[in-house]
Amino acid sequence: MAEPTTIKAKNEQGYWAFVNKQFRKKKTAVISLYIVIVLAIVAVFAPFLANEKPLVCKYKGETFFPVLKDIAVGFGIGQFQPQFQNVDWKNLKYDMVVFPPVPYLPMNQDNDNIHSKGPFDEQVIPSLRWKHWFGTDELGRDVLAGMIHGTKIAMTVGIVSMLIASIIGILLGSLAGFYGDENFQISRVRLWGNLLFLFFAFFYAFGARSYDITDALGRGLDEGFLQLGISVLIFAAVMVAGNLLVMVLKKIPFLGKQVAVPFDLIIMRVIEVLNSIPTLFLILLIISIVRKPNLYVIMGIIGLTGWTGIARFIRAELLKVRNLEYIEAANSLGFSNAHILFRHAIPNALSPVLISIAFGIAGAILTESTLSFLGLGPADTVTWGQLLSYARQIPQAWWLAIFPGFAIFITVTTFNLIGDGLTDAMDPRLKQ
Amino acid sequence: MKPVEVKTESGKTEAGKKFFLASISFPLFGYILKRILIFIPTLFIISLLTFILISAAPGDPAETMLNRTSGEGQAANRLATERSYVDLRHKLGLDLPIFYFAPTNLAVSDTLLRIPIKNHREMLDRLTYQYGNWSQIENYYHQLKSLEYAVISTKKDSTNADALIELRNTVAKIFIHHEDNVLSPLLVDLKTQSNSAANLIEVKAHAEATEIAYSKIKSEATTWKRYVPLVQWSGTHNQYHRWLFGEARWIGTETDPTLGKGFIRGDYGISFFTKRPVKSVIWDGLWITMLISFLVIIIEYIISIPLGISLAVNKGTTYDSSVTVGLFLTYSLPVFWIGTMAIFFLCSPDYVEIFPPFGLGDATWDDGFFYKMGDLAYHLSLPLIIASYASFAYLSRQMRGSMLTVLGQDYIRTARAKGLPENKVIWKHAFRNSLLPIITIFASFFPALIGGSIILEFLFTIPGLGQITYAAVIQKDYPMILTNTMFAAILTLVGYLISDILYAVVDPRISYSKK
Repeated sequence: MAEPTTIKAKNEQGYWAFVNKQFRKKKTAVISLYIVIVLAIVAVFAPFLANEKPLVCKYKGETFFPVLKDIAVGFGIGQFQPQFQNVDWKNLKYDMVVFPPVPYLPMNQDNDNIHSKGPFDEQVIPSLRWKHWFGTDELGRDVLAGMIHGTKIAMTVGIVSMLIASIIGILLGSLAGFYGDENFQISRVRLWGNLLFLFFAFFYAFGARSYDITDALGRGLDEGFLQLGISVLIFAAVMVAGNLLVMVLKKIPFLGKQVAVPFDLIIMRVIEVLNSIPTLFLILLIISIVRKPNLYVIMGIIGLTGWTGIARFIRAELLKVRNLEYIEAANSLGFSNAHILFRHAIPNALSPVLISIAFGIAGAILTESTLSFLGLGPADTVTWGQLLSYARQIPQAWWLAIFPGFAIFITVTTFNLIGDGLTDAMDPRLKQ
Repeated sequence: MKPVEVKTESGKTEAGKKFFLASISFPLFGYILKRILIFIPTLFIISLLTFILISAAPGDPAETMLNRTSGEGQAANRLATERSYVDLRHKLGLDLPIFYFAPTNLAVSDTLLRIPIKNHREMLDRLTYQYGNWSQIENYYHQLKSLEYAVISTKKDSTNADALIELRNTVAKIFIHHEDNVLSPLLVDLKTQSNSAANLIEVKAHAEATEIAYSKIKSEATTWKRYVPLVQWSGTHNQYHRWLFGEARWIGTETDPTLGKGFIRGDYGISFFTKRPVKSVIWDGLWITMLISFLVIIIEYIISIPLGISLAVNKGTTYDSSVTVGLFLTYSLPVFWIGTMAIFFLCSPDYVEIFPPFGLGDATWDDGFFYKMGDLAYHLSLPLIIASYASFAYLSRQMRGSMLTVLGQDYIRTARAKGLPENKVIWKHAFRNSLLPIITIFASFFPALIGGSIILEFLFTIPGLGQITYAAVIQKDYPMILTNTMFAAILTLVGYLISDILYAVVDPRISYSKK
């Protein structure tokens, strides 16, 4: 990314400046960007917006910041003061107190308002301050609090899973596009040797130490990471030793003969296979073998199944880029292939990827909420899809049907509109 | 979801003049045949992928099927349950290795798979990992088993009742422990307990034998074996081969009806949950999902092609811009939200009750044909609307875009310059060329519909492929999930094939004879 910025510094009409200008022309896309920023702020500040604990309180003459303290405790710094452990925050006798705008956590059950009280229903609350503005669900949990914390989940899922997908997609797609079937030449012994060493490395690093690792992980994370670290070291050692051996064996003419690795063929076949299983079926298949799907598992699954589009786009782009003159120039200057790929080819092929990432985030959020709606999402948190699924069980609770669904709709639409705006801004060919 | 790259080449004017079906020629059939041949390895890889994923699933299917609680019970009773468990494992093929070959090490033995109890398998696997001498470990396990049998078959009387209960507990503990610092004291306990009552001679002998066997494991340990990699070859006697090809004879009549025929001969195994053949459930579901997908595709194309064209022709008018914005919003509405809302507000006695909320109708076999059809149509109408709206919005936008691209081409300007009426320009010259991108979309459309069937059928409780898969995932019914995923993949590949054929029919420039 160094090149474009330096160009921009010298010349205001650089590519990214041009894209920026084109993007700003499209009103819907700009508005969507602002909505996404607002959503991101809600996501980051969710604990301050909806929390059972006060933001500031004066209790028995002392001033406390329980929400901040809560975040610190969550990071493992400090502990709650003994007088605040297992207390009912709502009914403490404070000298002075400021509660967050929504004084509930998504998991808090308000026992006075169980069986889904709507926004216009009679709610049993001390004052308007404690009103459930978006109603409650069957267990008396506040819907608005769930929606605020659900924003955090949705944004995290969208961004993290697309991060995973784009790392895999960019790597594999650029390998396929840049090297094709013929351009990656290595000696015979290095190709077959490395496959063999990979087997040995896996065997000695993980296969032969399987119970050591799982037992250590069972005892605690630090011991587990120590064992995993040892395994990674063994893995690296086997690979290095193997490749040193290869250097010697390469001298033999038969083994030293150069062969091409058909990256394009292999990667395109993998994509074809993945695209032949409908994504939701594949995701459900993986979920069925996971014991308890938590948020990380869901993000991982969406990322691992969602990279094919990105890979195909970057491959198509690199097929064009690799024949351009500047790549040839870099080649004749004697830069290594890897240097050319990562410093010159990929940065110039990123624009279609950016577009598909924007659409991909929308898709990932939609997939996560679909899974939650089906009751297969992360079990340890409240998500929009989960709230929406409660509406199916309670035919009177229209607030459960409308609000979470609307949140999903807005988020998905804004990301789609941003993708649309990027398409128009970056790809002048598609403009009418 | 993805922006489709619209690639246009300058079309030939005579393309439109050719008779529509004339383009289906011999090379096309060759091409279709070739495509089908390419599908076969893809399907193989998919089957491999899904099968291996499923084998990684936790839990013991045979245990869940029998709902077995290990531990208590009389000797005869316990032997009977163990027997049936072993039989079931054998029937399901769970005592076989998973694949043709497997990377293991020298210490591991495949007899381990035949040990019927999951906890015991784990314990033995751990012991092998620790000491590496399978023959001694196997011997130890046999001693332990006969000790257990001796304990439960010894007659209880007033003198040994307490000792027997203690012995039972100790044995149960020994079965699940592999750590030396736990096992050694347990074996000592065993000895003292068997000495505590007079009439426990048989138990005592077995306890001693077990202890000797255990000390032998330790003294003759061959830990180095764990570090020798080995690729174990199991031949065709493995779970995957059994699932795919079956064990029954291919030619002639099979004498043993219990042998399965394998996936490719239409035997999909037994559902873990209902314990009925998967085949009996899946065909009905497949039929319903196919019907819905087919209808949805027809509805979508019938609406969106004319709509897209009319938008493109009226480009820039308020009609165009307002409908385009509307289509974008429609396209972004999540199906499960709109579905929930529709069921909520249109099928509920609390609000408006226009449509039935679920199912495929209650017509019975005896009802008349028209009643049956009417009932089905009534029940399918809302699901069809819900399934169609999103992709129809997307399709219309694509159609508008591709029509605009075509209308900007030189040959259209030529046609107009010749003085052809606008109607003729659009329908005769532009229409067929503008269809190309729409047909490419079909390839990604069909899998989306099959995948979407899960949501749609969940929403409306339609007993199709999606609903069956969903239920199977909830119940962890692996043969069902496996078969459904395979069928979803097959349907997707068929969708790709159809889109290829349509492409050839619409665009005669595409030649399939070469490449």
